[in-house]
Amino acid sequence: MHLRIDDITKAWNGHTVLDGVSFDAGESEFVCLLGPSGCGKTTLLRIVAGLTAADTGRVILGGRDISALPARERRMGLVFQAYSLFPDMTAAANVGYPMRLRRDAPAKIAARCSELLERVGLGGLGARFPDELSGGQQQRVALARALATEPAMLLLDEPLSALDPAIRGQLRSEIRLLQRALGIPTIMVTHDQEEALAMADTIVCMNRGRIEQTGSPRDLYERPRSRFVAEFIGRANLLPTAFVREAMPGFLERRPPGDGATYELCLRPEDIVIESDPRGEAVIEDTVFLGNLARITLAWRGRKLLVEQPGRSALGRGEPVSVDALRGAWVCA
Amino acid sequence: MGIVLLAVPLLCLLVFFLHPLATVLVRSVTDANGAWTLANYGRLFDDPGLPRAASRSLAIGLATTLCTVSLGLCLAMALHRSRLPGKALIRGALLLPMLAPSLVLALGLVCLLGRNGLVHRLTGLPTDIYGFWGLLIANTLYGLPQVVIIVSAALGRTPARHYDAAESMGATPWRQFLDVTIPRLRFALLAAAFLVFTETLTDFGSAVVVGGSYRVLAVEIYGEVVGQLDFAMGATLGVVLLAPALLSVWLARLAKRRQDTGDASPGRTLVPARHPWRDVALGGISLLALLPLVGVVATVAYVSVVKLWPYDRTLTLANYIGGMPDGYGPVATSITMSLLAACAGVLLVFALSAGLRRAPPFIAKPAQLIASLPAAVPGLVLGLGYVLAFNHGPLSSWLYGSVAIVAACSLFHYHAQAFLTMQTGMRQVPEALDDAVAVSGGTTFHVLRDAVWPFAAPAAISTFFYLFMRSMVTLSGVIFLVTPELGLASVTVMRLDENGFLAQAAAYAMCVVLASALALGAMRLILHVLKDRRHVA
Repeated sequence: MHLRIDDITKAWNGHTVLDGVSFDAGESEFVCLLGPSGCGKTTLLRIVAGLTAADTGRVILGGRDISALPARERRMGLVFQAYSLFPDMTAAANVGYPMRLRRDAPAKIAARCSELLERVGLGGLGARFPDELSGGQQQRVALARALATEPAMLLLDEPLSALDPAIRGQLRSEIRLLQRALGIPTIMVTHDQEEALAMADTIVCMNRGRIEQTGSPRDLYERPRSRFVAEFIGRANLLPTAFVREAMPGFLERRPPGDGATYELCLRPEDIVIESDPRGEAVIEDTVFLGNLARITLAWRGRKLLVEQPGRSALGRGEPVSVDALRGAWVCA
Repeated sequence: MGIVLLAVPLLCLLVFFLHPLATVLVRSVTDANGAWTLANYGRLFDDPGLPRAASRSLAIGLATTLCTVSLGLCLAMALHRSRLPGKALIRGALLLPMLAPSLVLALGLVCLLGRNGLVHRLTGLPTDIYGFWGLLIANTLYGLPQVVIIVSAALGRTPARHYDAAESMGATPWRQFLDVTIPRLRFALLAAAFLVFTETLTDFGSAVVVGGSYRVLAVEIYGEVVGQLDFAMGATLGVVLLAPALLSVWLARLAKRRQDTGDASPGRTLVPARHPWRDVALGGISLLALLPLVGVVATVAYVSVVKLWPYDRTLTLANYIGGMPDGYGPVATSITMSLLAACAGVLLVFALSAGLRRAPPFIAKPAQLIASLPAAVPGLVLGLGYVLAFNHGPLSSWLYGSVAIVAACSLFHYHAQAFLTMQTGMRQVPEALDDAVAVSGGTTFHVLRDAVWPFAAPAAISTFFYLFMRSMVTLSGVIFLVTPELGLASVTVMRLDENGFLAQAAAYAMCVVLASALALGAMRLILHVLKDRRHVA
C-alpha cells in the first residue's frame, strides 16, 4: 500500500516538533527516517501509527485518509526500541496477542505463531518468557508480533539502538531480508546513518522538524544538497567558494549561481587523491591506521582536510603532498 | 473509558473528602442560625485553656520531632552503616507501631510506668507517666518507623564511590559522615521532620490515654464535640489545627522533591567498614530506642492475660473468652470496616492513578493535589466533617451509623499515602507497552489488564493491605462516627481505658495487633509468591 504524509505539523508546549513535513512511501519500499535526537522523526512515526495526533496535515494510506483513525484500527505493526513485550506471556503468547484480541481461532493463532517465530529465527523458543531471552531475541519476538496480523505497514522505532553492536549488524540484515521477502512497506526511525545507508531504499533525512533531503542512500551520499546532510551522512570536507576559487578552480563551473557565501563544496574523504610531492602545497599532519583503511589529516592552505585511503598508507607525518579530488558536490551552506 | 476511570474516583474525593472538609470550614465561620460570622474564632480566647492547648500541641510536636528524628537517624545508620549483628531484630521491632495504634503504645506506657504501673508495683518507685513526658515517649516511639524508612531510603541512594573518593583523599570516618552522608540526608531529614510534626500535632490516641492534664488541641476538639456538643467550636479548633498541618505537609513535600534522586549508576554496594566504637554507640542508642517499644507492647500483651490489673495479676485467658464487655463484635466490625475500606480504596486509587497516566497537565496537577491533600487533614477534622455533612441531609438515614460511612472516612483519611504508593507502582509500567497494546488493537480495558496490571500488581496489593492495617488501628478519624450499635475495636480500647478496665482494653488491643500482624504476614506472603511467579524484573 502506498503511504502519503501530507504537510504534517505538530507542536509540544509551544515548541514546534514537526514543521510541514511531507513525503511518500511506495509499495514494498523500505524508508528510513534519519536524523539527530529531537528532529521529530519518532513523533512522525507515532503520528503515522496513530499514537499521537498531528496538529495539521493528513496521513493517507492506500488512497484512504486515516488521520482520524485511532491506533488500534490502523492495522500497522510497530516495533519499539525496547521493553515492549508482555513480561508475563511467553514468546508465542506475545506473538499471538494481536490475534487473540481479534478473537481468531486458537488453532489458527498457534499455527501462525510458530510460523512467524520460525521466520524470525526463533523456532522452538516459543515457550520462553521475555526475561529468558536475549535483547536480540526479544526484538525478534517483537518483530514477529508486529507481523502477526499481516499489517498494511511495518513501523520500526529505532529497533536496534538498544542492542549490542555485534547483534545489531546481524539483526539489521535479517530485518532487511525479511522485509524484502514479505514485500511489506516499512518505515524505520534511526539516528545511525550507517544503519540507514545499509537498509533503506529511500532515506528521509530530517533536522529540527523539517525534511532536509529525501532520496536513495547513494543520492544522499554523493549529492547532498545541504551542509547538514553532507555532515550527517558519512564524513565531509566542506570548502567555501573563495577557497575553491583559489585551490581547485576546476570545480567552479558546476557551482550553482548565487553569491559567495551560499554554497560550499563537499568532498568525501575517499574522493581526495594525494601523492607524495616535494613541491606539494599540502602537508600531512597525522595518519591513523584503521586496518583496512588509513585516515589522514592534511593541512592545506590554512585548512584541515580529512582523507581516506584504502589499505595501508606509505605516507608519514610532515610529508608534503599534492592534492586533487575525483568528484565533489555543491551544498547549501 | 479513560474518562470514567478518572471521573469516579474524583467524584468520590469530592463527595467524601472535599465536601466534609468544606463543611467543617463553613461551620467554623457560621453561627447557630447559619449567618456568616467570625465570632467562633473570637471565642477561642474566652477560654484560656484553648490557646494553652494550642501551644501545648506545638510544644509536643517540636519536642517529638527532635527526639524522633535524632533517634531515627541513629537507627537508620545502625541498619545501613554499621556491622551490628541482629539487624533483623531492629527491623522487626520497627514493625510494631504499624500493628499497634498510638493508643496502644500509650496504654502500654501507662500500664508500665503509670501511677499504678508494673514498675511501681515491682519496685515501689513512684512513677507517673501521665502528661508531657508520657506523651513525648508515646509519640516518639510511634513516629520512629516513618523516619527510619525515609532516612534509610536516602542512605541507600548514596553511592559507595563517594565514600571511596573521600577515603582516598584522607577523610576520617567522622569527616565522611559530616561531608558525604549528612549533605545527602538534608532533605530526607527535613521531610521526615515535617511528617512527624504533622503526625504528632494531629495525634489523638496517645493524647487521650497518656496526656492526662496536659491537654492538647486534639483532645480539646474531642471535648467540644462529644462533651459539649459544640460543633461550631469543634470546627473552629479543627481549622486551627488544620493550618499548621497543611503548612507542615506542604514543606515536607517540598523537601521530598529537593531530595537527591540518586546517581544514574549505583555502582558497587556499600559495605560498612570496621568501626567497633561506632557500632557500640549505634547499638546502644538503638537499644535505648527500641527496648521501650518492645517493652511497651509486651506489657500490653501481658496485661491482656491478667485477671484484674494491676491488683490481681494471676494469668488467665478470661479477658479473651467471655470477659469482653461487648464481645468480639467491635473486633468483627473493625475487620469488616477495614476490608471495606481496603477494597474500595484500592479500586478507587488504582482507577485514579491509571487514569492520570496519560492525562493532560491541566487535569493531572489539580487531581494529584486533591488526592494528596488528605495527608494534611487531621483525622478528627475529617471525622467531624463527616458528622456535619452526613448526619443531616438527604442520605443521612442511610449513611449515618453504617459501616460504609466509617470505611469511607478511614479510606479518605489515608488516601494520600495509598495514592502515592499506587502511583509509584504505575511508574513501573513501560510506556512502550501501552502503545504495543494500542497498536495490536486493544482498548483501554486491554491496556489496564495486559500492560498496567502485571507491573502495578505489587503496588495494588501493598495499597490494599496498607489501607486495611491503617483502618484497623485508626481512632481519630472514626471516633465521632461510632454509635451504640456500631462499635470499633480501637474506640472500645479507648473507652475501656477511660473507665479503668485496663485488662479488657489490653485484650481488645491485642486483637487489633493480631489482626494487623496477620494482615502484614499475608501481604508479605502474597508479594513473595507473586515475585517468584512473575517474570517482571
